[in-house]
Amino acid sequence: MHVTHELELFPDNNVTQMLFKEVKNAAELRQSAVEGKLNAALINPTMLVNHFQVLVAANKAVHLQKSGKMKTKSLYSEIIFNLSPTNNISEAFKRFGISDGDDAVMLVLVHSKDESQLVSDLAARVDGQQVPVEDLSSLSDAAKIKKLYKITPQEEKCGTVLDAVVCRMATKDVM
Amino acid sequence: MADPEFFRGAQLLKQGAEARLYRARFLGKPTIVKERFPKCYRHPVLDEKLTHRRTVQEVRSILRCRRAGISAPVVYFVDYKSHCIFLEEIVGSSTVRDYISSTQSKSCKERELEHLAEHIGQILAKMHDEDVIHGDLTTSNMLLRCVLNVGESELILIDFGLSYISALPEDKGVDLYVLEKAFLSTHPNTEELFEKLLKSYAASSKRSSAVIKKLDEVRLRGRKRSMVG
Repeated sequence: MHVTHELELFPDNNVTQMLFKEVKNAAELRQSAVEGKLNAALINPTMLVNHFQVLVAANKAVHLQKSGKMKTKSLYSEIIFNLSPTNNISEAFKRFGISDGDDAVMLVLVHSKDESQLVSDLAARVDGQQVPVEDLSSLSDAAKIKKLYKITPQEEKCGTVLDAVVCRMATKDVM
Repeated sequence: MADPEFFRGAQLLKQGAEARLYRARFLGKPTIVKERFPKCYRHPVLDEKLTHRRTVQEVRSILRCRRAGISAPVVYFVDYKSHCIFLEEIVGSSTVRDYISSTQSKSCKERELEHLAEHIGQILAKMHDEDVIHGDLTTSNMLLRCVLNVGESELILIDFGLSYISALPEDKGVDLYVLEKAFLSTHPNTEELFEKLLKSYAASSKRSSAVIKKLDEVRLRGRKRSMVG
């Protein structure tokens, strides 16, 4: 159900993504994440086009952590921040983090290769139904995404929405 | 810091004076890595500053073009410390240079070349209307990719390493002048074809008349405006 990718630039780091529907304890999960008791990023899946988008955010977060240039306090908050097209931190959490009433959540964790136990431990803390990560496409809100990232119809002529989103995420610090 | 192992696994494609190009897999996708290596012949502070600025300008221009609907490679990741840009690999493409060279000899394909020249003119007009100056327009820095189920192929601009933003007709004129020089020297006997390109540029751009006028001026004096130094 979950997908795990290796970060080629940081080979001892893997990124695992898990998608849940019908989640009943979003408020509790969010609280634990804020207190640092949950080692994962909790992302609102309506703002995600594809798992590649999360991967780009995670790779950048690990890179900035290793070079000591993170803009936020932790690796997981940095992943959420990196998804946003703007440099406003609270705005990023509002749009890409989860809210207490949400019933769907994408769980992202960064771990080493021999920490696969972590994945199942984390999954157990979510009171909801785990679904394949590919189901993202049915949860995402294309109109909202295009509006937030300011993707125009003419840009869609030369590439996909995912291309446009990834480009903005990768270059936002110099815009 | 990026893992040195990563570059060992990557395939070196090209090495220029400014950067090295590698082909590698990044986040599971075929990727081109452009690494601006340190230049020991420059003062370290100046080197860092120039390299950083060029990296920034390159990604800015790419995004600006894409926003306007001009195809350019997707930027996946930028490492401002090692000055590496991770770009989408345009799979299954060929350069316009190779296309023209292989098509030129076939007389029946004349119409196709004219069509391509007109298409290039339109794209460049659109780019200049966005005030993006490419800085290194050559037929090697334009790629053609076949689009499935559409007869026409897509034109993709690459290598924005010398690009910058400017609204001056002078800068746009020089941009076209650089292309003219490169075009006519790589592809002999294409004066008529290039004329078609310029005509289509003039017809597509809103502010082309000032640019073409400048181009005529630049032709007489060369690329550099001031003759100092």
